[in-house]
Amino acid sequence: MIEVSTDWYLTLAAVLFSIGFIGMMIRKNALIMFMCIELMLNSVNLTFITASKHFGTIEGQISVFFVLVVAAAEVVVGLAIIVSIFKKQSSASVDLLRTSRG
Amino acid sequence: MESLILVIVFLPLLTALGIKIISKIVNELLINFLTINSALLSFTIALGMFALLLTNKFEPMHLEFFTWIPSPEILFEFTLDGLSGIMMLLVTGLSVVIQVFSTSYMSNDENYSKYFIYFNVFVFSMLLLVMSGNFLVMFFGWELVGLSSYLLISFWSKKQSAAKAGNKAFILNRIGDFGFLIGLMLTLNTFGTFNYEKVFSEVLNGNLASLDIIVVCFIIGAFGKSAQFPLFSWLPDAMEGPTPASALIHAATMVTAGVFMLVRISPILQFSETGKLIIITAGLLTALIAAFSAINQDDIKKVLAYSTISQLGFMFIAIGSGAYVAAIFHLVTHAFFKALLFLGAGAVIHEMHHEQNIHKMGNLKTKMPITAAMMGIGTLAISGIPPLAGFWSKDEILASTFANGGVFYGYWALSLLAAFMTAFYMGRHWLLIFHKETGNDISEVHEAPKAMVRPLVILGIFSFFIGFINTPFFHGLEKVLEETLHYVEITHLPEGITLIVLALISIGAGFTGLLLAYLIYIVDIISYFKIKIPLQEEIKELSSNTLYLNKLGEIIFVKGMKSFSRKTAVVIDGLLIDGLVNKVSTVFYNSSKRISRSQNGLVRSYVVYFGFFMLLLIGLFIATPWILN
Repeated sequence: MIEVSTDWYLTLAAVLFSIGFIGMMIRKNALIMFMCIELMLNSVNLTFITASKHFGTIEGQISVFFVLVVAAAEVVVGLAIIVSIFKKQSSASVDLLRTSRG
Repeated sequence: MESLILVIVFLPLLTALGIKIISKIVNELLINFLTINSALLSFTIALGMFALLLTNKFEPMHLEFFTWIPSPEILFEFTLDGLSGIMMLLVTGLSVVIQVFSTSYMSNDENYSKYFIYFNVFVFSMLLLVMSGNFLVMFFGWELVGLSSYLLISFWSKKQSAAKAGNKAFILNRIGDFGFLIGLMLTLNTFGTFNYEKVFSEVLNGNLASLDIIVVCFIIGAFGKSAQFPLFSWLPDAMEGPTPASALIHAATMVTAGVFMLVRISPILQFSETGKLIIITAGLLTALIAAFSAINQDDIKKVLAYSTISQLGFMFIAIGSGAYVAAIFHLVTHAFFKALLFLGAGAVIHEMHHEQNIHKMGNLKTKMPITAAMMGIGTLAISGIPPLAGFWSKDEILASTFANGGVFYGYWALSLLAAFMTAFYMGRHWLLIFHKETGNDISEVHEAPKAMVRPLVILGIFSFFIGFINTPFFHGLEKVLEETLHYVEITHLPEGITLIVLALISIGAGFTGLLLAYLIYIVDIISYFKIKIPLQEEIKELSSNTLYLNKLGEIIFVKGMKSFSRKTAVVIDGLLIDGLVNKVSTVFYNSSKRISRSQNGLVRSYVVYFGFFMLLLIGLFIATPWILN
């Protein structure tokens, strides 16, 4: 039986993070981008837990709780923003929001 | 006793302040009372101090008032020796006489109190200048004198011409002051002190470093203040001021400050051949040009102004030929007869209701006999007719110039020509005003009021007798100045028969000038004998326009400066400086415009930048240890 080592977890986290990041870059729907952010956050959580397990310490797991709490708060704010954007332009496309261009 | 110097110097300033304070609430009489009594008090103290000097055989007195600048140590100090004693008497004495005259001349002027404030400030500055104990204090007085002269020239500042004349005087004086200032800096740099005696003893001990340049700088200063060629054109314009002020400032005292200063630095000056050459050349040029210009002036005061310039030229000739005593002697006699002539002119102007054209006067001697007589004395005195004052001093200058020999014979001949012209234009001046039957209506004219006539008589008496203070038989002034000029080599008068012949020649020149004026302007020989003078009109034009030097100056300096500054405004300021500043801002504007395009507002491209730089950062983390090792 194959031993699931720390490397595997880290690789998975890296893959998840990359997927999230690429999604951020190529998708223009605000909701999808939001989901990508969540994906990246969770890949980081996975890294924390892996490290915690690998070194046998508790700090990584504590950090994960913080990240989760922050993410939950972020969801509240982020979704509210997305809803109001959608109301304004009846689309959640971020490319239409270019008022801050130089 | 030395502290009385302070009283003499600062009393006029206190008087000016006093008049300023009370001027709002009192009438003219009280101002007269205050200012004339204070002037009399100054004069009395000055007489006392002079008597004290006399008993001390003119041993210089020093007074250190306070330390002005601690390092290098410069004191606010005063010196009273023969030279400053003479000047002190002259300034305070004339100030009394002229202020008495002014009370009548200026009465009912709307700025009556202001006139006397300025007047007293002037007297204060002049006293500060002459009694100074070092160069810096002298410069202080020098500048204040320029300021008060400016204030008095443009006293009737509502008149455009008066305001302009004030500016011109001030600006031309500044050119001279600039030279003086450079001279001051060089003096401090070379000798490390401003004190006269210390500087002089350094020079006498053989420290002749950069002497010529220092002397030339001081000479430029003297030229500005004493209206010498080429800085003389302000003085005729300065006649816009009230006539009594012209008498004191632009004839008797302030314009002689340059002469005084050069005599003061004579221990340095005697070593500088270049300096002497410049002085005598400019003096001669000035004496001739101004005398020539005076011949065809129509304004009663302008003739006297040019005459003043010409006489100052004589004083410079004296200094240039090393006859310092003669220069001061002529300064003193000139102060009296020129003040007399100016006050006389003031009386005439006053009675003619501010008419200044001499062709509109004529035969005034029937109406103003005393003024005419006094002006006559002044005219004879300036023409060098013995035994009046001008003869002794002018003859001393001419004879001392002659005594130098060599090229100085030529200088002597030219000075003689100037003396001849002096007699001619002064004769013309007096004859046209007082003698010639012109048919002008003068029935309204009366003798001037007593407050004007009495100063005239006093000055007339002095103009008659003041020459006796220094004759070949009695060297009074020479003794007074002996201590001051102790280490200075003075040109002495020739002896015996030469002196008598020279005197006879200069008397002859004076008489011929007067006679010629009488023949031309009264007998009118030119039209009687139908004499054709070649280029007569052109010469007249040249004379009345001062050889067009004023216009030349205007073209070169005023117009030249204007076009130059306009060009600098366009090229240097507009193209270079503004261009540079604008270029910098355009570069920033354009580049920031380009860079700001990267801020395109698309969230996703920011994500790309973010990712790119994160990768870069990670790459750096990895690469750094590798590079460092």
